[in-house]
Amino acid sequence: MSIAELESREIQLEQPQGLWSDAWYRLRRNRGALIGFGLVSTFVLVALFAPLIAPYGPREQNLSLVADGCCPGPSAEHLFGVDQLGRDEFSRVVYGARYSLLIGVVSVAVGLSFGLVLGAIAGFFGGITDSVIMRLMDIMLAIPGLLLAIGIVAMLGPGIWQIMIAVGVVNIPIFARLLRGAVLGQRENDFVLAARAIGVPKRTILGSHILPNAVSPVIVAGTLALATAIIDVAGLGFLGLGPQDPATPEWGTMLTGTIRYLQTAPHLAIIPGIAIVISVLGFNLIGDGLREALDPKLRGRA
Amino acid sequence: MLRFVVRRLLLLVSVLLGLSILVFLWIRALPGGPAQALLGERATEESIAQIEREYGLDKPIYVQYWRYVETVGQLDFGQSVTTRRDVTEELRQKFPATVELALAAMIFSTFLGVPLGFFAAKRYGGVFDNSSLVASLIGVSIPVFFLGIILKYIFAVQLGWLPTVGRIDVLIELDHPTNFYILDAIIAGDPNALLDVLKHLILPAIALGSIPLAIIARITRASVLDVQNEDYVRTARAKGMAPRIVDSRHVLRNALLPIVTVVGLQVGFLLAGAVLTETVFAWPGIGTWLVDAIESRNYPVLQGGILFVALVFVIVNLIVDVSYAFLNPRIRLS
Repeated sequence: MSIAELESREIQLEQPQGLWSDAWYRLRRNRGALIGFGLVSTFVLVALFAPLIAPYGPREQNLSLVADGCCPGPSAEHLFGVDQLGRDEFSRVVYGARYSLLIGVVSVAVGLSFGLVLGAIAGFFGGITDSVIMRLMDIMLAIPGLLLAIGIVAMLGPGIWQIMIAVGVVNIPIFARLLRGAVLGQRENDFVLAARAIGVPKRTILGSHILPNAVSPVIVAGTLALATAIIDVAGLGFLGLGPQDPATPEWGTMLTGTIRYLQTAPHLAIIPGIAIVISVLGFNLIGDGLREALDPKLRGRA
Repeated sequence: MLRFVVRRLLLLVSVLLGLSILVFLWIRALPGGPAQALLGERATEESIAQIEREYGLDKPIYVQYWRYVETVGQLDFGQSVTTRRDVTEELRQKFPATVELALAAMIFSTFLGVPLGFFAAKRYGGVFDNSSLVASLIGVSIPVFFLGIILKYIFAVQLGWLPTVGRIDVLIELDHPTNFYILDAIIAGDPNALLDVLKHLILPAIALGSIPLAIIARITRASVLDVQNEDYVRTARAKGMAPRIVDSRHVLRNALLPIVTVVGLQVGFLLAGAVLTETVFAWPGIGTWLVDAIESRNYPVLQGGILFVALVFVIVNLIVDVSYAFLNPRIRLS
């Protein structure tokens, strides 16, 4: 054994595989997750560069195109055909990616932030605080998600911001429960006991010892929640509770009016629907991949 | 066991009490009022005041809540503002429609999902396993209403095999003693009506059952995979028990526990979450009823309907919990 070899081994020993690099390694070998990343990055790029990709404006009408009835299907000028008002379907779907991405991210962020705070407080302080918060969460969970969202939209009135808040609120109890469970699990650990023994303040224990260790289930749940949020938002849009300006190219809203044209123009229903499926599938694939990569119990199997 | 059930029931009461307060407050927070919605834009102050008196909306809020609790305790949800019929009576008509749909969806997803998951686990890593994984991923990624539209387009519009909307053909006359149309048709002894009702049920049930199907298949697969490697399964195999008996008596029975939980949870979601499916297929159930009620600010219907749906949801979850403890002695003892 040469000296160079000895040295190189020592360098390896100095860099133990951390949770994240380990997870990243397994994620890269997961074909499903890679496909998911591909789908989601396409989705994000389309949303970012919508004005460059779309050949027409999303609200640009050309009624002469639908003079012979609704609606001309795919052609060279209009890749996905045009809708009942002569708007280019391709451009509308491209711009729709912006709404779905924005609404999905904001609503999950709302649910995540409130849910995390409530769950962390409930789990860490326990006792009556815990009981009050978790009973409230139980009550929210007793109303099925979509119905709760519809109820909130009914209270706030229909619109984009309203459905973001509604879907976000529906997510709160899910994250609160998740984080409470994770905190309870971490609280009993020896390093927490040690920190408490040397007099570290409670807030610091929560912030720098417990929360960082509870992060991975939250990331997984957050990714999967994005998928659900996009579906829920589209559902609310489909029920007519989304953006009230019918020209807004939101995917769910785009589907609403198209049932009437199912016989003559099925592409109007199929294309926005497929756009929803692709983006949701992407987030689901990444979420599943992350769960497998981050779950220590599954570590041996892959 | 008894203590477990009692504790769960106490929890149920507290949740329902909180829920009733929440629903009550939420309804007061809705913009506009029922009187406004009922009378339209040209309502005069006096006519609004009269409607409000009629429905007791002019009393202080705690009086209203107390009256509400009293009447709800007697299962009286008041009168629908738009149809002037008892909410309980409308509920009796709408709820069976949703239950029928949810049960059909559940039967479809369970009877297909469990075998699919089981065979996927048996052929772990094989072509069937991988394709069923992909299929179930796509299954959970398709919005129910989009799947409904696609099914409608293929089987109703293009092929013309199945009807597009409603529960029964308008030309068929059928008495509705139970409002479960399948039962009604059987009671009436009308095979044509029964066939028509079943035909109306197929597409909505498949659309609604798609997500539970995917979830049940995945859980079954994971659960069978877990159980298959247990010591008692290996012992049974080692002593030469026939593979079929090992599968049915040892593997499937033990793998059933998580499946029961998931099936139970899905029933609750189906009962309430059928809103979108009902909208696509114009199914006259709870979902469409509540959405209409929101549009017309139909307070009594909203109160009664949401409280009722939540009640059913919570009770189904309770039954699942209890049956889980019943099936699994390990939980009962701890």
